[in-house]
Amino acid sequence: MAGSNEINVNESKLVVPLNTWILISQFKLAYNLLRRRDGTFNRHLAEFLDRKIPANAKPVDGVLSFDVIIDRGTGLLCRIYRPSDGEEAQPSIVELERPVAEDVVPVIIFFHGGSFAHSSANSAIYDTLCRRLVGNCKAVVVSVNYRRAPENRYPCAYDDGWCALKWVNSRSWLRSKKDSKVHIFLAGDSSGGNIAHNVSLRAVESGIDVLGNILLNPMFGGQERTESEKRLDGKYFVTIQDRDWYWRAFLPEGESRDHPACNPFGPNGKSLEGVKFPKSLVVVAGLDLVQDWQMAYAEGLKKAGLESVHQWIITLLVSDERFHTSNKNWPALANESKQGKSANSRNIG
Amino acid sequence: MLWNGSENQDAGMDELLAVLGYKVRSSDMADVAQKLEQLEMFMGSAQEDGLSHLSSDTVHYNPSDISSWLENMLSEFNTGDPSFDQSLNLAESSSAVPNRRPKLNQSQQPCVFQDDSEYDLRAIPGAAVYRQTPDESLSSNKRLKLTDTRSELNNSLISSTMPVAEATRPVVMVDSQETGIRLVHALMACAEAVQEGNLKFADALVKQVGLLAVSQAGAMQKVATYFAEALARRIYRIFPQDPLESSSYSDLLQMHFYESCPYLKFAHFTANQAILEAFSGAKRVHVIDFSMKQGMQWPALIQALALRPGGPPAFRLTGIGPPQPDNTDALQQVGLKLAQLSETIGVEFEFKGFVCNSLADLNSSMLEISDDEAVAVNSVFELHRLLARPEAIDKVLKSIKDTNPRIVTVVEQEANHNGVVFLDRFTEALHYYSSLFDSLEGSGLSPPSNQDLIMSEVYLGRQIYNVVSCEGVDRVERHETLTQWRSRMESAGFNPVHLGSNAFKQASMLLALFAGGDGYRVEENNGCLMLGWHTRPLIATSAWRLAAGGNTDSH
Repeated sequence: MAGSNEINVNESKLVVPLNTWILISQFKLAYNLLRRRDGTFNRHLAEFLDRKIPANAKPVDGVLSFDVIIDRGTGLLCRIYRPSDGEEAQPSIVELERPVAEDVVPVIIFFHGGSFAHSSANSAIYDTLCRRLVGNCKAVVVSVNYRRAPENRYPCAYDDGWCALKWVNSRSWLRSKKDSKVHIFLAGDSSGGNIAHNVSLRAVESGIDVLGNILLNPMFGGQERTESEKRLDGKYFVTIQDRDWYWRAFLPEGESRDHPACNPFGPNGKSLEGVKFPKSLVVVAGLDLVQDWQMAYAEGLKKAGLESVHQWIITLLVSDERFHTSNKNWPALANESKQGKSANSRNIG
Repeated sequence: MLWNGSENQDAGMDELLAVLGYKVRSSDMADVAQKLEQLEMFMGSAQEDGLSHLSSDTVHYNPSDISSWLENMLSEFNTGDPSFDQSLNLAESSSAVPNRRPKLNQSQQPCVFQDDSEYDLRAIPGAAVYRQTPDESLSSNKRLKLTDTRSELNNSLISSTMPVAEATRPVVMVDSQETGIRLVHALMACAEAVQEGNLKFADALVKQVGLLAVSQAGAMQKVATYFAEALARRIYRIFPQDPLESSSYSDLLQMHFYESCPYLKFAHFTANQAILEAFSGAKRVHVIDFSMKQGMQWPALIQALALRPGGPPAFRLTGIGPPQPDNTDALQQVGLKLAQLSETIGVEFEFKGFVCNSLADLNSSMLEISDDEAVAVNSVFELHRLLARPEAIDKVLKSIKDTNPRIVTVVEQEANHNGVVFLDRFTEALHYYSSLFDSLEGSGLSPPSNQDLIMSEVYLGRQIYNVVSCEGVDRVERHETLTQWRSRMESAGFNPVHLGSNAFKQASMLLALFAGGDGYRVEENNGCLMLGWHTRPLIATSAWRLAAGGNTDSH
């Protein structure tokens, strides 16, 4: 049981710059306060602490955003990010939904992370990420503000994802000129990656074309304790105990982690052989304790004969000897971090 | 590195964290990391109770300031153990961060409000608690007069002290229909034509808007109709002035607005929370209310004071209101009702009403502040009216300072409707009131009564007319954003008093109670609380005290 509840602070300090360490530690601290032992969640405090950013129809760095309530009944909101075409004037409200200009415009439906319980589409961390996606991918990004656990368990998040997929697919202004179709990709990190997978399953059943899935450190698990979970438990900000809590909060009451939502290729899962499932990019972080489950997922896709690529990310600083100093002197590390800041920040996020 | 108050607030802040909503000075990073580690250690060895205490009982403030947030939690563990104090190097960092809430020792922490107390919410009055005789306010009829009060529409000059306008435009749309788009297009084109002085074209467009609006449904139709009417007034220079219109009509409208949606309840509730905390320990308290109207804010405060451990203070209320054309003393009537309420509850109460055309006509000596009372100044949707004349707001802020207040509570619309460029103002207002009208419609699950809804729309419609068709001193709905008000208050010599997680939670619970949840959201913003519709903040509550040197109270 050693190390299972205690976060080993020393190792995590070595692999990320100081400001990133502060950011993640601060999140971890807050999250520890929010999860209650009885399985309930301190939602008011969560919303109080979460840093939010409003949408902005005025372009900033070539990206503008606006929010749309796509389902009045559930209050489901999506934040749409699009490139601003370099025009000087601010687009009026009319032009926010003007047809996309290019021959081919990828539309990425993005599901934010937060282990099904935390964050929102307007959380600062995700607003920032989605803006970058627009520029990097020359895409329109639709970030879905899905309902969260434990107040809304499985399958609410998937239902909301599905609703968003149908909505996006039916927008004439999102159609690429080349073939008058919406070119849809599903993406998400952590629980968002899990949602992307499960929404894809529904898409194939109903004939909506998803061109690809992008799963960033997707959240999967199972009853078994894998080698990576045991090895990395508590080492880098995340523990088996908190992972268990989130699954208990999301899955239907009484279900184990071998429920197919959590373990898609496990004992209760089904093979995707013969299924026209989208090709997938699965990004696995080398220090993520659930990497064995993520690799098993990639393996499951492969077994079904599906096209998938997985990519390792290991923080590049591990090999940087400045961070292997045994002198854990924070001020010195702070200076180092500052000097190396511009180089490091490209690797993160 | 030295910082001068708010001038260089972002100087030296870590960029990565700043973009994500956190303010940490690069020079403080090592210290913040140390605090995180320390807290980790304490939490690791704390009993389960200790942890849940931090979550449910501790009041958190201003999470953007990570350093203070951590300190606040660390102080929860520092109950008299000297070894802990020595290991924490807090002194250096605590003085360096501007705008921090002054750290309270355990003994000074106000223990008046428990997190889950229900009496706060039950005390919110509905019309049931506070009866208004319905017919007396409808006696005056509005008459439309063609008065050319301005030979030209002049835009107000930017004074050198005016805060920089907001650069963001938050937009929340409800899934749009085709006609909705064309309607908005016509409205925008019309506004643009008006700005360019192309009145013939504008006239044609206004008519087109009218036609399109007929086939539109719901909130969009109503909003479009009001904006079209406002544009028409601007084009034809119709400035309805009704000298017989009593303020009791606008008070009536506001009461319906109070009933139909949670904005005013939120405003009153959050302001009262700050006032209550500021009044902690005071035996005599005096509230000066710039927004007296029908006094809807005060029954709840009086109730809460009555239930204060140790008994209520003596409560004095000074209400400021506009003159009544029919010479009725509306203020006194309100004061009388509040006195009756106070008597039944058992709170010593005194009321004084002041009638004036403008808050700038007041000076603090009139208010007869006495030395032994704690003063709060309260303004809900009033201060922006002073912005037509730059010297007016300065004068009022000075008068406020002269009362030596413990707390100043300000609630304002979260929008910039005071920009110099007409088209910008128009666009901002269109987005703002669209969200507001959408929220009135609700999700259809719990619609407000028809009368409340209609009157609320009229209430908001009058604001729209003012923003769009008036200029100069007639344009009183000069809303500005929290960022702009912050800058103004700080320049005038006030420091923020942060509203915490307890107020946030209770405000959220209030929404669940009165608005069924329904898309309304409370948001925390650097110590202030905002209420919005989905992701669009619409009103903001901030609290202030005199900057150091002006007030000896520690709170």
